[in-house]
Amino acid sequence: MSTSVRDKLKNQISTRIRSRSEQKRFRTNWPMTICAALLGFMFIIPAIWLFVGSIRPNNEILTTMSTFGWDLIIPSRLTFENYYHLFADLGFGVALWTSFFTSGVTVLVGLFLALLAAYALGVLNFPGRAIVFSFVVISFMMPFEAIAIPLSQVFTKWGLANTYAGLILPGIANGLAIFSLRQYFMGIPKSFRESAMIDGASEPKILFTIYLRLSAPALINSALLIFVGSWTAYLWPLLIVSENHLQVAPVALARTFGEHTSSYGQNFAGSIILSLVPAIAIFALQRHFGRLDWGSEEK
Amino acid sequence: MEGIVLTVVSGNKEASIRHRRFLAKKNEYFWALALLLPTLLALIVLRITPMISAINSSLFTAYPGGVRPAIFSGLENYRTVLSDSDFIDTIQRTFLFNLVINPLQIALSLLVSVLMVQRIRFEGLWRTLIFIPVTIPIVGSSITWQAILRPDGPFNALLVTLGLKPQPFLNSPHQSLQAITLIASWIGIGYWMMFLIAGLRSVPSEIYEAAEIDRAGPIRVFFKITLPLIKRQLLFVLVADIVANFVLFAPIQLLTAGGPESSTTLLIFDAYRTTYGYGSRNLGATKVVILSIIMICFVALQFSLLREKKVKEIK
Repeated sequence: MSTSVRDKLKNQISTRIRSRSEQKRFRTNWPMTICAALLGFMFIIPAIWLFVGSIRPNNEILTTMSTFGWDLIIPSRLTFENYYHLFADLGFGVALWTSFFTSGVTVLVGLFLALLAAYALGVLNFPGRAIVFSFVVISFMMPFEAIAIPLSQVFTKWGLANTYAGLILPGIANGLAIFSLRQYFMGIPKSFRESAMIDGASEPKILFTIYLRLSAPALINSALLIFVGSWTAYLWPLLIVSENHLQVAPVALARTFGEHTSSYGQNFAGSIILSLVPAIAIFALQRHFGRLDWGSEEK
Repeated sequence: MEGIVLTVVSGNKEASIRHRRFLAKKNEYFWALALLLPTLLALIVLRITPMISAINSSLFTAYPGGVRPAIFSGLENYRTVLSDSDFIDTIQRTFLFNLVINPLQIALSLLVSVLMVQRIRFEGLWRTLIFIPVTIPIVGSSITWQAILRPDGPFNALLVTLGLKPQPFLNSPHQSLQAITLIASWIGIGYWMMFLIAGLRSVPSEIYEAAEIDRAGPIRVFFKITLPLIKRQLLFVLVADIVANFVLFAPIQLLTAGGPESSTTLLIFDAYRTTYGYGSRNLGATKVVILSIIMICFVALQFSLLREKKVKEIK
């Protein structure tokens, strides 16, 4: 009896101590919060101005931009005429579709390629694995902008200029995607594969039934890396596509900007549409973004 | 492990087991090759072929008009390019730009990240606000900032309201590269912040609690605990940032075209302009090769930071 009472008392005291320490841990640091808020607003204000500019009458952007006041970010009326103009007159919809299609296929092919490579380089053993791994990842970490100019000349010679294949191919191999998938695969216990092999499963079957199913977070991270890379690509589509009907959205936007420098409304509307897609993708999946597995090499 | 199992098995069966193991190994090699094949093909087509093509092209001299075939000229193009004072200026400018923008971006990202992991309210909201510029494609953010930085734009309106003089920004050879730095950092800081926050969160909270018990001040905690513990992530982010900024292209092509007075002519834009603007493919290829050599050094460094072995850390 007495021991149980003592236990109860002890429990009570320890919970009280714990709750006090927890209170301390979650005590809000208000000066820091204010700093963070100010910083957040500094970053978001240009984006707010961009958004407001896209939903106000086009000429109002120029007439309000020179004086610092409320009408800088408060429109006289809301309108979607910039968006309408962008799609109806400038054919932005076609470019948007090209971007969607290109990025979608790039992600699918790129993930497939990265999966196969990561399995071979992270799970299978073969002589020279470390060298092949270094070579593959270093080559594909090099941003392809650096060699975009000679690559576009090679592709043009091969007849890939102004084709979807020409647009898609350079984005499919992503060094960081291969790296992070491989790192993730190496964290999956080897015994899973060994027992599957005893059951007679082949390597591709092990890859697509066991490893693929266990790797959702790493796959999402890789897909985001490939998608954002392809969606925001500018130099490559500029070099490889010259026909208007195959132009991707960022290049189409840059073109209308070059031709109508001061009609910002449609350019702002285009920027908002272009940022919507990666914004939705990243915020829906942000738990997985930016995380590289910093684990060590297997031993 | 498997080796130990093997030696335990008695001698008679050993030969057949060894044979089976040999077959299994052969099977593994086969699949390794088969699974790597698409990647190796991509490597050859997308990286090695253009690299060889650029090197090859850099060794020839073509004549304008293309009537006479190009002739082999060895390293002549490199001599031409490297003795061109404009190109030397471009290389110096590119390095100087990277020497400023990368430490600046990473230091600010680190500062923001450290702030974000304090005991603050609505942390997710502030983090989201800082991250939103990352989602705007660089073409869009370049256009936006071109408008903001116009001589009659909102930034100057703000300066005038604060009683300061309006500035020319992109129109001045002394401010244009700083303006480009500002645009790139508006995007870059939020992007690298995400990586650094992930790094900071991986530091066990017990370490901070212990420091608190020892009454270590926040600055001391930052330099003695936080910084050493996320050193690797920090270096990786720094090198990745260098790699990204070495190929910064869109804002320069869209907003300044390398000017005014060549003040924003960086290496990648120079290679692009030489090839397509001036139509000298061979000199352009030479510049691409020089750029690629610089890039490979940084990428190799980035890679070694990513996979540095834990064993070293224990030592």
